[in-house]
Amino acid sequence: MVHFTAEEKVAVVSLWARVNVELVGGEVLGRLLVVYPWTQRFFDSFGNLSSESAIMGNPKVKAHGKKVLTSFGNAVKHMDDLKDTFAELSELHCDKLHVDPENFKLLGNMISIVLATHFSKEFTPHMQAAWQKLTAAVANALAHKYH
Amino acid sequence: MLSAQERIQVAQVWDLIAGHEASFGAELLLRLFTVYPSTKSYFKHLGFCPDETQLLTHGQRMLEAVGVAVQHMDNLRAALSPLADLHAQVLRVDPSNFPLLIQCFQVVLASHLQGEFTVEMQAAWDKFLTGVAVVLTEKYR
Repeated sequence: MVHFTAEEKVAVVSLWARVNVELVGGEVLGRLLVVYPWTQRFFDSFGNLSSESAIMGNPKVKAHGKKVLTSFGNAVKHMDDLKDTFAELSELHCDKLHVDPENFKLLGNMISIVLATHFSKEFTPHMQAAWQKLTAAVANALAHKYH
Repeated sequence: MLSAQERIQVAQVWDLIAGHEASFGAELLLRLFTVYPSTKSYFKHLGFCPDETQLLTHGQRMLEAVGVAVQHMDNLRAALSPLADLHAQVLRVDPSNFPLLIQCFQVVLASHLQGEFTVEMQAAWDKFLTGVAVVLTEKYR
């Protein structure tokens, strides 16, 4: 189980309180689909993903990005208990969605990059370290029930 | 490998870094060592807690090499051949570390450029830096 220090928890929680989940969620998922186009394979039903502007403006991408990042909010609330928190979602991603867990790492990295665009100098190396530790731990939790 | 548009994006971003190689490089290394402490294993000569001067010196060297890559996007293999030899024969950095460096590079760019770090810039730089990493590890075996 991953242990977060008190400082790491404060860093994550304080930044999260200022995140516009709808906006950031859409940007994170949009950037994932543009920078790593093979991730589009999971989103055939999303309509027009033919260009960068189509992807970033796609309402389904924005909606789903919001959904994904909202779920991330749960991680922030349960940093000491990620495996249980994401157990059901892990089964879903394995059994129904068939998502290669490598994608969770890519998305996690994208979260740090988008947070950096929003928070700039405040997204210090220590802040980045706490967030990358959290996103990596969530990625592991989401992969935990794979079989 | 890079389209004409992607090369323009890479050059545009480099214009913002050029002249600031030392400070960018130092921040890159500081983030790398903070977020991924295992990477410090390749920098024993900098000590357990590298100081600012060391980070600036080494950071500048690394970013200047990136600058060489930017000038020779058409022919990375030839331009980076000496560095590829160095990495294969002397440094032998495990290839899994390059994505970690690339992630930190993107975060440095993102935090400095903020909203101006467009998704096209990010895509072009990710592709470009990944190409550099491929060339640097190509002679490993």
